[in-house]
Formats: sequence, C-alpha cells, structure tokens
Amino acid sequence: MSGRMREGAGPRIAVVGCGQIADAHVQEARRAGAVVAAVCDASPHLAEQLAARAGVPAWFTDLDAMLAETRPEVVHVTTPPATHLAVARRALGAGAHAYVEKPLTVDAREADQLAEAARRSGRLVCAGHNLRFDPAVRRLEALVAAGALGEVIHAEVMMGYDLGGPFGAIVMSDPDHWIHRLPGGLAQNNLSHPLSLVLPLLGEGAAGVIASGRRLRPERFGDARDRFHDEVRLSLEGQQATAAIQFSCRVRPVQLSLTVYGSRRTALLSTDARTLRLVDGSRLPGPFGKVDWARRDAWAAGRELLSRAEDLARARLHYFEGMRALFRAFYAAAAGAGEPPIPLAEARLAAEIMDQAFAGCRRAERAPEEERAS
Amino acid sequence: MRALTGATGFLGREILRSLARDGAEAVRCLVRPGTAPDRIAAAAAAAAGARLEIVPCRLDDPVGLRAALAGARVLYHAAAVKRGPPAALVQGTVAASEHVFRAALAAGVGRVVLVSSFGAMGVADLPRDALVDEEAPLEPHPERRDPYSFAKHRQEALAWRLAREQGLPLAVVRPGFVFGAGQEILGTRIGLRLPGLFLHLGGRGRVPLTFVENCADAVVLAGTAPGALGRALCVVDDDLPESRALLRRYRREVERLPVVPIPFPLLRQLARLNAWYSARTGNHLPPVFTPYKVASTWKPQRYSNRRAKALLGWAPRVPMAEALDRTFAALAPRTREAARPMAAVG
Repeated sequence: MSGRMREGAGPRIAVVGCGQIADAHVQEARRAGAVVAAVCDASPHLAEQLAARAGVPAWFTDLDAMLAETRPEVVHVTTPPATHLAVARRALGAGAHAYVEKPLTVDAREADQLAEAARRSGRLVCAGHNLRFDPAVRRLEALVAAGALGEVIHAEVMMGYDLGGPFGAIVMSDPDHWIHRLPGGLAQNNLSHPLSLVLPLLGEGAAGVIASGRRLRPERFGDARDRFHDEVRLSLEGQQATAAIQFSCRVRPVQLSLTVYGSRRTALLSTDARTLRLVDGSRLPGPFGKVDWARRDAWAAGRELLSRAEDLARARLHYFEGMRALFRAFYAAAAGAGEPPIPLAEARLAAEIMDQAFAGCRRAERAPEEERAS
Repeated sequence: MRALTGATGFLGREILRSLARDGAEAVRCLVRPGTAPDRIAAAAAAAAGARLEIVPCRLDDPVGLRAALAGARVLYHAAAVKRGPPAALVQGTVAASEHVFRAALAAGVGRVVLVSSFGAMGVADLPRDALVDEEAPLEPHPERRDPYSFAKHRQEALAWRLAREQGLPLAVVRPGFVFGAGQEILGTRIGLRLPGLFLHLGGRGRVPLTFVENCADAVVLAGTAPGALGRALCVVDDDLPESRALLRRYRREVERLPVVPIPFPLLRQLARLNAWYSARTGNHLPPVFTPYKVASTWKPQRYSNRRAKALLGWAPRVPMAEALDRTFAALAPRTREAARPMAAVG
C-alpha cells in the first residue's frame, strides 16, 4: 500500500496507557514501521487486554520495570493528560524519545517543564497533533506554502463532538472521569486539534485570544457532568492573520471542517470527508456569475469525489492516516533524519492559548454571579 | 440480605423482581453514583413488595464496596458494560469485577452469582449441529472474538481464578441471548442491521434465547441452590426458535426490512475475504467478520439447559410462545410510533 512501511523497519516502541486511543497507537505505529515491544498500564487488566488483542509480546504495570526491561527507543504516552508530564519525564530519563497524546500537558507551565526535561535528556518530544498530518491538511499546507491562496487573512474551524459517541458516552456516564478534572473539561481534550491547524497560519509569536463557553445541554445529573462547557468559541488574533474556532457538541453532522480565507482564494477542508476544495469565485457578470461559481464548485467537488473513490479502491482511507504519517515523521526525527514534525514551541503555544481561553471562560461565568452578589 | 449489582439494567431489574417474588429477605442494590433517578425508580418499582435498599457505590471503590456488601448472604453480580471501545468494556466489566469479588471475599459473602455470557465459551471448534452445554471449554481464543465476548471471558476467568486461589464461593450463570419487552430482538446472532438493509446470518440455526424473566429466575436460584456452587450453568429456554422464523415474524409484525440472507458456507468465505483484506491493508476495513467469529456466532448448533434444570430446579416460567408474543407486542407499537408522520409545526 502507498506510504506503508514494513513493520520492523522503524524503532522499538512501547505504549504507556492502554485506554481507548492506545489501540490506534499500536496499529498505526506498526503501519509506520515500528515494532511494538510492550504495553504498560497501572491496571493489569487494561495492559493485558491490549497485549492479548493486539499480539504485543509483553505487558507491564510498572513503568520503570518496563523501561528497564524493554528499553524502547520511543515511548508513546497515552495516559490521561494529568499524568503526561510525569510519564514522559521518566521515559526521557530512560533514554527514550516521547510521543505524547494531546493535550500535551494540563497547562503551559507543565509544557515548559516537559520541554526542559527533553532538553536535558537530549531526546525529542512530539505532541500528538496528528491532524496536522492528515492527507487533506498536508495538501492544504502545500498550497498555502506555494502561495495558491495568496496571503492568509482568516481561518475558521468547526469541531463537532458527539456526547453519545463511543467516548462521549463514557464521559457522560462517569462523573469521576478524568475529563471532568481538566481545567477546560471536554473542550480541553479536543481543542489541541483545531489549534494545531490554525496556529501555523497566524504568523510568528503569541496570539491574542478571546474565549466564551456555554452549556446548551439540559442539566440532568447534579454533578461534574452538568458543569463542563459543550460549546466553546475561541477568537484568535495573530501577527499575520486571525482565526475563529468553534467546539460544538450540538452541530450536526459531527465534523471537523477548516476554511482558510486568502487574498486570492478560499480553501474548504473537511477531515471527515478528507476533501479539500478551492473556491475561485467567478468573474462573469450578474446571474452568469452565480451559475459559473456553482459550476466551479461542482467541478471541484467532482474531482474530490473521484480522488476519494480512487483512495478507496487503493485502500488509502485509514481513519488515523494522519497519526501514521506523524509517527513516521517523528521516528525519522528520532533517528536523526529530519526535524521534529511538531515543534514543541507550537504545542506549548496551544497550551498557553487554552490556559487563557479557559481562564476567560471562567471569568465570564463568574461575572454575572458577582454582579448578582453586589 | 442479598445484594445485587446492575439492578438498573435490563436483566438486573428482572432479577430484582424475581428476588422480590422469592421472599421477604431484604435486597441491597449497588447503583453507580449519579444514576438517573428514573432508572432507580424503575428498579424500585420492580422490587415492589421487597425490602429494598439503594446504595450508591462505585464498583472501583474497594472501601465502599466492602461496606456495601457487609452482611450480604448472596451477591448477584449482573453489572457489566455492554457497549463501547474494548478498553472501556474491560475497565467496566473486568477491572470492576475484581474489586467486587475481592470485596465479597473480604465481607464474607456466602455466595457470589456471576452473570456471565455464552460469549465466554469456546464453541468455534465444535462441529456443526453439536450440542452446546457446560462441557464446552472457556473460550481458548477470546482475542479473536468481539470485544464484549473478550471482556466476559476475562471476567469469568478471573472469577474462577479467585474461586480456586482464594475460595470465592462462586456460581456462574451463562445466559444465551436475553430478550424481552423493551429490548431489540434482532440481535447479532440473527444478523446485522445495515442502513436500510438486514443481513440475515443465522439461517436455519436455532437462536439460544432466554426470556428475561426466566433468566432472572435462574440467576436468583443459583444464589441458593446447593448444587450450583462451583458450577457454570448455561441458561436458555425451551423450544428455541429458528433464526429465520424469528426474522420472518419480525418482518410481518414490526418492520418490513429488506433482507439479504447469507448462507453459512458463503458467510465463511466472506469472512476469509474480510480477514485477508483487513490484514493486507492494515485494517483499512476492520475485520468485522473473521472465520473464527463466524464459527463462534453463526455456526448452526444446538443448546442444552439440562444442567440448569437439574441443579437449580429451574424451568422457564414463561413458555417461549408467550415470551415471544409479549416481546413482539411491545416492539410493534414502538415501530408504529416511529413510523407516524411528524405533526405539522406552526
């Protein structure tokens, strides 16, 4: 298959944290050429089940024992975010490179500590911003770099989330789920993705952020499950461009779509359909322009339809294709052949923006209460 | 006092009803903190006539569990996660059960009745038309099965290990497909529902059904019957219907589903193709069908409830014909409701 490496051509890896996303890590690491030497989880049941189902030769409940006995070259950290820093530090300390699932850390302060640990160990850390390596996103990145859109003026992301989906249902059935202990709740576990898509478009340096959060679902439980924001809006202002991100549990279909408005063209991207369409508009006058514009849209959509059909025939539509590509780039960087695919500074910036955003949401929430109290 | 986990579930509610019918002994239900009040109310309604205690308790809280099980003569452990990703099934079914079993040991519970599943047994290697009963081994390759069967296998294996090593006073009930009003009857053993289409995979094979009320009776009896201790008991009802007969009735009374029947030999070939393609393309399409899964689920076999009857003194209280009538009667209006055009707005 196109782009697929032979298993075993890459590094020996271990996966720490055997929850839901760990399955994808084992599968995509193998597709990226790695040998999965061990899995590890504090729960023996979780560690054993992944090893048994995925055919991994060893499982552990003790991280240090796993690192000492298996000596992995890369450790994938797929534990809950509050433990990312501690687990990654131990992996780095044992001489492994660390791939850390999103969100990289709970906040920017921890991201700084992780960067420092990476610097001291001389090893690499990669944030799990795998959507940056989604095939459609890579195509968009190439177009932007080639100037096909002109100067990027503004970007918008709509990220949908299904509270009744496989992970959402778990979060909603358990008031003690780790999601509810994140400062930004469910949104914090998801916003890394849209942020990773727009941050490279905003220009160098920090971005100003305005955020608001709302709860549109009815209160049902009287506990943490009623408290997190299910609609979060971020407005970002960078040196070169602006961006808006909407995280929504209500919008249907559930989707992740990105629109980039440039000074020459607009690009419409859907990671769900894996499509990218350029909008050129029309130069024809009046009513002819409307028909011509629609014709151009239809052509662009038709080309995407044919491309996806070809991808289907050639088995190139894996759900986590971006993850595989990012793993592969990270493994190459870890082997000294290339730059780290996700600069740590960029992941740190995403953490800082989320810190500001959730602080803003909390302030906005307190304001009416304080007004009432006064 | 008898204790019950999973009381707000489909089978749990009936176990509660059966316990209430069984006697005046108090029943303590361990429910997840934050369980919706309407689900607790439904459980309480089922236990009308019994002395009922509702104890909010997480199944991963050893201290809370030990307190909740103090003084329990029998624990019926019916809680399990049925849907979700594999790790969530293992977390909610296996890891939680370890806490439950250890708390039962610590609290000196006299007997633990585990509600296991047919999925925990290894039947793929049995020949066509073989009799499936308690002689079937625990599944030797659970990793080749679906995630639910994997988790139920690990749960039952764990229970037996604790019985051997620590003396857990265990009785295991393995129900077939539990059906009843309020539950979809077209389960995986009959086929697979696709958008606008039903793949009929069960052919002429018998479906190992057990009506929820009958199954609950068996579970309750396993808590006291002397012969059940240290045994696994398969629970299916009598007069098991053929898969195709059930589907025919469903189409007649509930919904005119377009059906594509797939005979077992063809299904086996398709499974080979699915497994080959999946391996060849790095799971481009998941291996939904594999020869092993197909042989485990859809190979025509026969099912016995002889041991459950002999050791529990159990017999299905509701005959199959009546159980099906009641189930289909509950299904039909629901479908008519769904089919009714929406009221005009404004």
